[in-house]
Amino acid sequence: MHETGVRRGTRGGAQLTEVARAFRDKTAVAGVGMKLGKFPGQTALSLAIDAFKLALDDSGLKREDVDGLIVLSFGSDYDRLLEALGLNVRYAHQGWSHGRFISPTVQFAAMAVAMGMAKAVAIVNGKRGKAFGQAGDTEMWRQGLGPHGESPAYGALRPAFGAAISAQRYFHLYGGSNDDLAPICVAFRKHARLNPDAVRRDPMTLEDYRRSPWIVEPLRLLDCCQINDGGSCIIVTSAERARDCRKPPVYISGMQGVHAGPQYHNLALPGLGVAQQKVYKYKPTPEDLYSYRMAGITQQDVDALITYDAFSPLVLFALERFGFCGPGEAREFVRNGRIELDGELPINTSGGLLSEGHLSGWNLLIEAARQARGECGARQVKDARIVQYACFLGESLIFRGDR
Amino acid sequence: MKPSTQRIDEATGRYLPIIYPEELPHWEGLRARRLVLQRCNACHGTWFPIGPTCPHCMSPEFAWAQMSGRGVIHNYVVYHKAWTPWLEKRVPYAVIQVELDEGPRLTTNLLDCPVGEVGIGLRVVAAYEDITDEITLLQFKPDIEASGKRHV
Repeated sequence: MHETGVRRGTRGGAQLTEVARAFRDKTAVAGVGMKLGKFPGQTALSLAIDAFKLALDDSGLKREDVDGLIVLSFGSDYDRLLEALGLNVRYAHQGWSHGRFISPTVQFAAMAVAMGMAKAVAIVNGKRGKAFGQAGDTEMWRQGLGPHGESPAYGALRPAFGAAISAQRYFHLYGGSNDDLAPICVAFRKHARLNPDAVRRDPMTLEDYRRSPWIVEPLRLLDCCQINDGGSCIIVTSAERARDCRKPPVYISGMQGVHAGPQYHNLALPGLGVAQQKVYKYKPTPEDLYSYRMAGITQQDVDALITYDAFSPLVLFALERFGFCGPGEAREFVRNGRIELDGELPINTSGGLLSEGHLSGWNLLIEAARQARGECGARQVKDARIVQYACFLGESLIFRGDR
Repeated sequence: MKPSTQRIDEATGRYLPIIYPEELPHWEGLRARRLVLQRCNACHGTWFPIGPTCPHCMSPEFAWAQMSGRGVIHNYVVYHKAWTPWLEKRVPYAVIQVELDEGPRLTTNLLDCPVGEVGIGLRVVAAYEDITDEITLLQFKPDIEASGKRHV
């Protein structure tokens, strides 16, 4: 009685539909643009416009070629941005800026293109970290409405709460401690040192990590990303059209959405027992791994993994969520350079949110596209062709480079 | 008792809970030193957070029922960084998630217990902290009568 059920195989599994089969590799990322850092003299609007121009230039498309626009809530609204750009579109949409909604946003864009509702959709994002008047400014103080379980009256503030309380349960269930997060933070910093755009490029050793102060124990300062300003733009168009663009196309091969509900409490892996979650050892079902079937690949084919790492434990959760290892095995998985550039599964090759910077994750998706193109220079994963963006909440985008 | 959307106690700088209209029986219960949550008339399930329908069976028929007030620490974290001046005087402090014997888990603090002694599996019992003239906050404290049973 009174169990909020975990559905398992009750919805007929995850059969690949005819449309999904036809959709594979039919849309592509054709242009990317990004600004990341501190821009005290700019607004969220002007950062968004800079990124849009960079992405246009990257793609070789003209402003008039863009007939779809999606923006997210942290910056200006879609109509203000279009007004500023002098651009009319026939597909406009506005969503919520949280990192978990970025790959679904790319999915909307790809579906809009595939359905002929737009020929090229630009997803544009601009953000000023501490600007006044943005929709996200008061979000960490919401009680009962916020995404990470914030309870201000109890001093349970900030997203670090959700990540720390999830990590605590993970260590309780599977053993280990904060020390198991060190190889993640150190690896991503190594990657950032090869990335001229990264915000944090000073060296970090395991010892530096262990000396880092507690913020919300079991998380240290170096387990948490910083917030910065920035702008990003990703242009999605048809595969056919992308082949005529300036850079090689990055095909969208497979995708799946955010899994949500009481068993998916935010910043936790299912089964950890955070808030009202049940306690069990989570293993993904075929339904949980739909995007591999859509792309016609398995985990073994993934050349690089890009994942949302606002807090380091999320990397452990993503690895187990997508079955790169078994329950409780991610602590072992991330050791000994396995997730570094020349390792078995390079992760967050730009340095991730932890070291490259925080653009609500858009910088992660842009890195995934650039890795699939093979244009990452010193941090390029050799021969990377399949690059997956996949996160602990189950959302996934599988990119395939045209090479 | 009335709903409240006041975020901060101006006198102390302490963050206050928002009191939604549908939660009033719960808050009135806390004022009277009783932990009251919803129980479904159809499936007899209890739940938290407070909501308009039973998340187990979707029945809208429920009664406010007094809980035992006893439970176990299921999870906790320790804040070392203070994000408000009020919290500066309190770090390090623990935030715990208590699993009530009736099932639901609640996020609170732990009173009368040094931070170093907080741990998963510790039996706790409800405590009531009057934080303004109107609002009593649910808290927990170690249950000194309970035996230490292993918790997963």
